[in-house]
Amino acid sequence: MLVLKLIQSLIATLHSEGTPGQVAAGIALGSILGLTPLMNLHNAVVFALIVILNVSFPGAMLGWALFVPVGFALDPAFDWIGRRLLLETPGLVPLWTGLANMPVVPLTGFNNTVVLGSLAFALAFWLPLFLTTRWGVARYRTTVADRMRRSRLYQAVTASKVYNLYRLFWPET
Amino acid sequence: MGVPVFRWKAVGPLVLCGALGALTWWLFADRIARRTVETVGTAVIGARVEVRDLALSLRRGSVTVRGLTVASPFRPLENLLQADELVADIDALPLLEKKVAIDRLAAKGLRFRTPRRADGRVGGGSSPLIQQVRQWAGQLQVPALQLATGKITVGQLDPMQLSAPRAAVALAAQADSARRAWSAALQGLDVSATVDSAKRMAERLRGAKPTDLKLLGDARRTLDRVKQTRDRFTGLERSVRDGVATLREGVAGLNEARQRDYAFARGLLKLPALEAPEIGAALFGAAAIERFQSALYWAELARQYIPPGLLPRATPGPKRARRAGTTVRFPRERAYPAFLLRTGELSFQLPGGAAPRTYAARLSGLTSDPALYGRPTTFEASAPGLSAGAMIDHVRSTPHDTAAASLAGIALPGFALPALPVRLEPGQGTVALSFALTGDSVRARWSVTADRVRWARDTAAAAGNRLHDLVWRVVSGIPSLDVSASLGGTLARPRLSVNSNLDRALAARIRAVAGEEIAAAERKVRAQVDSLVERQAAVVRAQVDTLTSDLAQRLGVERTQLDEVQRALEQRLKQLTRLPGVRLP
Repeated sequence: MLVLKLIQSLIATLHSEGTPGQVAAGIALGSILGLTPLMNLHNAVVFALIVILNVSFPGAMLGWALFVPVGFALDPAFDWIGRRLLLETPGLVPLWTGLANMPVVPLTGFNNTVVLGSLAFALAFWLPLFLTTRWGVARYRTTVADRMRRSRLYQAVTASKVYNLYRLFWPET
Repeated sequence: MGVPVFRWKAVGPLVLCGALGALTWWLFADRIARRTVETVGTAVIGARVEVRDLALSLRRGSVTVRGLTVASPFRPLENLLQADELVADIDALPLLEKKVAIDRLAAKGLRFRTPRRADGRVGGGSSPLIQQVRQWAGQLQVPALQLATGKITVGQLDPMQLSAPRAAVALAAQADSARRAWSAALQGLDVSATVDSAKRMAERLRGAKPTDLKLLGDARRTLDRVKQTRDRFTGLERSVRDGVATLREGVAGLNEARQRDYAFARGLLKLPALEAPEIGAALFGAAAIERFQSALYWAELARQYIPPGLLPRATPGPKRARRAGTTVRFPRERAYPAFLLRTGELSFQLPGGAAPRTYAARLSGLTSDPALYGRPTTFEASAPGLSAGAMIDHVRSTPHDTAAASLAGIALPGFALPALPVRLEPGQGTVALSFALTGDSVRARWSVTADRVRWARDTAAAAGNRLHDLVWRVVSGIPSLDVSASLGGTLARPRLSVNSNLDRALAARIRAVAGEEIAAAERKVRAQVDSLVERQAAVVRAQVDTLTSDLAQRLGVERTQLDEVQRALEQRLKQLTRLPGVRLP
C-alpha cells in the first residue's frame, strides 16, 4: 500500500503543472526532512520553507518519504560525520561553543552527532540533488510523459482519491 | 511571466499551523515536562523517577511538582525518597539556551526509604555504575562467621606442602656432598704416605753419623714435607670444622621449619572465628559495606554528571527511532550552566519515637558545570538530634566529595546477624556516617550506637547447635550496641575494619568454650606434622652425627701420626746436630 502511494505520488508529481525546478526544489527540501531526525527545530524551519516557498509540496512530501529510509540506513555515516565535526575538529570548537550558548540554536539539537552529521550531509547533498532532479524531471517530461499519460497505470493513478488530494496542494504556475 | 518565489496564500495555513502548535504546547506542556522530568531523572539516578502531577507556568516562571517518587537504585521494593510537593522558581531566559536555572526550590514532605510495590531499579539494578560500585565492594573481603556447624575439623596435610621434609632432604644431600669432598681432600693429602716416609727416615737416622751430611739433608727435606702436610691438614681440619658447623645449623633449622609447618597445619584447621576484629567484620561488615557502597554510588554519580573543567562533554544522545548518536555539551565561561539550582530549601521527615519528626535542610549551588558556577555544591541540615552536611567540590581539577550525617534518637532498622539465627532490633539509637572521596582516596566511617537493644532468636534454626546456643547466651545478655566501621585507602585498594562491643564478648566466650576442642585439634595436627617430618629429620640428623664423629676420629688419628713422626724426626736431628762443629743450617 505504501509503495502504491509512493508510485501514485511520484507519477502525480512528475505530471504536475509545476516546473521541473519547483518539483526538484520540493524534493530536495523534503530530503532534508527525511535525512535528518524529524523532531528537531531545524525541520520546522525546513517545513515552513516548503510551505512558504513556491516549491512543489507533493514533491517535498515525496522527497521526505523517499529519503526517510536513506536516513535510517546512513545513520552510522551521519554519526561518524557528526563526531568528526563536533569532537575531532578542534578548530570548530569555538564555533560550536558559541552556538551552544546562543538563544534558540541549542533547541535544534545541532550538538548531537547524528543531527549535525545528517544536516551537514543533507545541506551538502541539496544542490546536487536539486540539479539532478530538475534535469531528470525535464527529461522525463520531454521523452516519457506523453506515453505515460496514455498508459493504464496513469489513468488508474489520476482516478484515485490520492490524486485528488494532491491537487489541493499543487504549485502555482 | 516568471514563477513567483513565495506562495503567499500558504502564509495563513502556516500561521494556523503555528497557532495549533502553540495550542498543543499549552495543552500538553505540563505532560511533556512531566515526562521529561521522569525520563531525565530516571536516566540520572539509575532508578525509576515518577511524578504524579506537574504544573508549568512560564509566565510566572515556576514549576510545581507534586507526588515525586524516586526509587532506590539498590533496593528493589524501596523508594529512595518521596516528596509531597516541590516548587521551583525558574529563570525563563536560559530555557531558550536549553538550560535550566532554578533560583529557589522549596521541597515539602520529603520522606526517605518508603516501601514500594514494584521494582524501581533500571535494568533490574544492573546499570553500569551499579555494577562498577558492586565490583568495588567485592574487593572488601568480609570473613564468614564459621559458626554454622560449630565443628572443628582437620583438613588433609599434603607432605609436599611442608617445608621441614624438603629442608631435611636438602640437608642430607649437603651432608653427603660434604662427606665426599672431605674424603677426597684427605686422600689428596695422603697423610699415611708422608707418615710412612718419615718413619723410614727416622729409622735410617738411628744408625747415622753426624758427618753423614747427605742423609741429614734428606732428613731435613722429609721433615719439611711432614710440616707442609701438617699445615695442609690443619687447613682441611678448619674447613671440616666450618662445614660441620653449617650442617649443625641446618639440623637446628629443621626445627624452625617444623615450627612453620605447625603454623601452616594450624591454618588448615577449620576453626570458628575467634579474633575480635574478625567477628566484628563478619557480623557488621556487610552492613557497613552496603552504606559505603551507597555513598560511593552517589559520589560517582556526582562525578559523572558534575564533571570538573570546561572541556566539551560527550553523553549518549536521546532515545529515538533513529540512532541516538552522541550529544556534546560545550560549556563556556560567563554563561549559564546546563543546570543550576541556586538554593533549595528542603523539609523532610524521619522516623523517630512514636511519630515521625520533621527536619529542615538547605541545598545550594547544585550545578552541572561547577567550573562555571565557581562554587561547590553544599548541603546542610541541622536540628535537635540531627547534624548533616555535604560538599561536592568539583570546581578544581581534582574532585573532592565529602558528606557526613549524624542522627540521634531515631528508630534504627533491625537486621539479622549473618550466619546466625539471631536478629537484632536496635530500637532507638544514633547512627553516623561520614564519607570523603578526594581524587582516588577514600575515607569513610559508619557507626551505630543503641542503649536498649532487643535480641530475637530463630529457635527452629538454632536447635541442637551448641555454638548457636552459646552465641545466643552471650548476645542476649548484652543490652547495648556499639558498632564502628572504617574505610580507608584508595578506590583501587580499599581497606575495611569493623569492630563492635559484641566482638570481644563473643570472642572471649567462644574461646573459653571451644578452647579445649581447639587445643585437641592443634595437638592432632602437630602429631601429623611430626609423623611426616620426624622420619626424614631423624635420618639426616643421624647422617650428620655419623659424619661428624667419623671425621673427628679419622682426623684425630692422622693428626696424631703426623705429630709423632714430626716429633721423632726433629728429636733425632737434634741429637745428631748437638755434636761440636756441626750446625744445622
